[in-house]
Amino acid sequence: MKPALIIVALIALAALLVPPLLPYDHIAIDWDSVRVGLFADGHLLGTDDLGRDRLARLLVGTRVTLSVALAAAMVALVIGVAWGAIAGWVGGRTDELMMRIVDGLYALPFMFVVILLMVVFGRSILLVFLGIGFVEWLTMARVVRGQVIALKQRPFILAAEAAGSPARATLLRHILPNVAGVAVAYLMLTVPHVVMIESFLSFLGLGVQEPLTSLGILVNEGAEEMDMNPAALLLPGGVLVMLIACLTIAGERFRDRLADAAK
Amino acid sequence: MNEGYVVRNLRVCVRDHVIVEDISFTLSPGEIVALAGASGAGKSMSAMTPFGLSAGVASGSAILDGIELVGLPERQLSRVRAENIGFVFQQPLTALTPHRTVRQHLQEAAMQAGGSKPDKTAMVAMLDSVGLSRPEERLAQYPHRLSGGERQRVLIAAALAHGPRYLIADEPVSALDAALRGEIMALLVRLCRERGMAMLLVSHDLAGIEHHADRLLLLEQGKVAESGTARQIATSPATDYGKRLMAATPRLSERLPPLPEMGETLLEAENVHVHFPKPGWGRGRIDAVVDASLTLAKGETLALVGGSGSGKSTLGRAIAGLGSMASGLISWQGEALPLRQRRSAEHRRLIQPVFQDPLASLDPRWSVADIIAEPLRWLVPEAERDDRAADLLEEVGLPRDFATRKPASLSGGQAQRVAIARALSANPEMLLLDEATSALDPLVADGVVALFGRLQRERGLSLLFITHDLALARRAAHRIAVMEAGRIVECAPREELFANPQADATKRLIAASG
Repeated sequence: MKPALIIVALIALAALLVPPLLPYDHIAIDWDSVRVGLFADGHLLGTDDLGRDRLARLLVGTRVTLSVALAAAMVALVIGVAWGAIAGWVGGRTDELMMRIVDGLYALPFMFVVILLMVVFGRSILLVFLGIGFVEWLTMARVVRGQVIALKQRPFILAAEAAGSPARATLLRHILPNVAGVAVAYLMLTVPHVVMIESFLSFLGLGVQEPLTSLGILVNEGAEEMDMNPAALLLPGGVLVMLIACLTIAGERFRDRLADAAK
Repeated sequence: MNEGYVVRNLRVCVRDHVIVEDISFTLSPGEIVALAGASGAGKSMSAMTPFGLSAGVASGSAILDGIELVGLPERQLSRVRAENIGFVFQQPLTALTPHRTVRQHLQEAAMQAGGSKPDKTAMVAMLDSVGLSRPEERLAQYPHRLSGGERQRVLIAAALAHGPRYLIADEPVSALDAALRGEIMALLVRLCRERGMAMLLVSHDLAGIEHHADRLLLLEQGKVAESGTARQIATSPATDYGKRLMAATPRLSERLPPLPEMGETLLEAENVHVHFPKPGWGRGRIDAVVDASLTLAKGETLALVGGSGSGKSTLGRAIAGLGSMASGLISWQGEALPLRQRRSAEHRRLIQPVFQDPLASLDPRWSVADIIAEPLRWLVPEAERDDRAADLLEEVGLPRDFATRKPASLSGGQAQRVAIARALSANPEMLLLDEATSALDPLVADGVVALFGRLQRERGLSLLFITHDLALARRAAHRIAVMEAGRIVECAPREELFANPQADATKRLIAASG
């Protein structure tokens, strides 16, 4: 878990801290050196068709991808935990109804919903992560509901009731802290999934819009010139793969460790 | 050839830990030897490791019919197991493969040592010999159609199908209902005697095996504390450990210990009904408790005894306001207690529960002090809570500095004492003890029962003692109520119940515990 987290942290720190230090930002056009290769004219990774610094664009793209992923995962966390906890805790018909709503939303074709949102509200980065968070919370709700139902039957919950603890206090003091571990583990697995969805949407041109960039857009641009300049595809693609792989590994290790601790 | 199973200086290690050290015993043909002791004493490890069926590594010597098992390669060991030995394990619910029928289990078992495929008559005879009713029908059935006792009978039939000369039974009845235990134990012993089989029996329940085994080894922390004939150890144990273990095991034949005086009636439960909807849609309901009435006086212990599924826990929870109740009236000193949702903290204070599984009844994320002070949260200002918690720790016999610990660092007995301290911190009038000692080791359980007795004397507590163990109920309770299929079939003072049992369920329970 540690090496994977360190790699993610390094990538995230670089994306946050390095861009201001560079001589060019991600939209500045260097008219003197359009489409130059690696290490040319003070551009470490060269420039693209419009003479924009590839390193600055890569770092900013990583930053955008990561922030969209984090924001969407937080949306999923908040809605999913609240929805799942209430359904599992209240039980009965309320639970039935709430989970059937989740099932219904699951059945909607996700791409169709996102495209519809774009058409109705126009393209914006806010919509992208709202749209993604809107889909990701469904699984979170199911995971949390299952946990809450399992916890609800543990005798310490009955003991809390006997101790005179009101239902809301029991939910806040006993149930949610014990769900937290699982929710965090699932959150860590949601982030790489969202990274992938965001990149996919951007690759199709539905996500982040120019001049802002993201890893998905960079991969798309790189794919167009991969025969002449493979680095333009391999660099953003490599960062994307590292992020997804390391976040997934860290998330799975964390989940396994929780499962071991529960034994 | 030297017949028999001879173990000399057996030592078992798991990784670097020595689990069992210097154990020696002999199992002659036709003999029954029992390994008993507290959990963690190394009973199962001693029995299973020489046959390669545990995580441990054996050293020393274990010779079966002249073959040294320690250090034998797995392939040959597996042959020895298949040809000579039948195994019966604790968990009848999981020891059968769910997608295979009884017939397939028996065939596989009979053919394991290279025998021919048994025909239907042979298999019916096998099932018949283990006392399974309607054996022809059973052959085609899958494990989920059978009850726990029936599954254990099928497992025994399978263990014997290839005609082994040794039987190794690891807690063969511990997972079964009290009423069934004696029956299955008697079956095992009868089969051994009929076939001249030798049996190595592992059990923590001394009362259940002392009449059946020829010889007994008491293990303590991986070493033999005492060994001898079962009769001699049961009547006059030589070592201190043996004496304590014997004293901790309740028996129907022991002298009745005195109990404290009781006062006026506090609790009355009248015509309590509880039912649950059956799983699935529109399948009707399960009547868990039917028309149950009982009373409990100040300082009195009432035992609620019955098999699993008899409704005793459900009734207890309904009384404590921790479970639903379809109809009926629970009153305290003549005043009706409201239903579950309406009970105030003050109502709930009166009746505090202690549950079976001590670790599951403590929130793993809370410190011991917070757990104990939970009922105080609604009654006492924060500054006083820690002191009260530490006082309560002392009252239940734990050091004050346990307050900062987390439940994961407690043993089962310590965790149960913390759960008791939490119940006491509400300053209750009555404790609901839901199998509060049955998950604990005999010695630890005895300590906890003694603690209940002391608390009752000191605080004048009333105890509703839910248990499946009739001998324990006889030792601890003024009166005993017997439940069967959701009904209280009999309720009488303990002397009367044993002198003159009325209901069939009571008679069966007494016979099974004797």
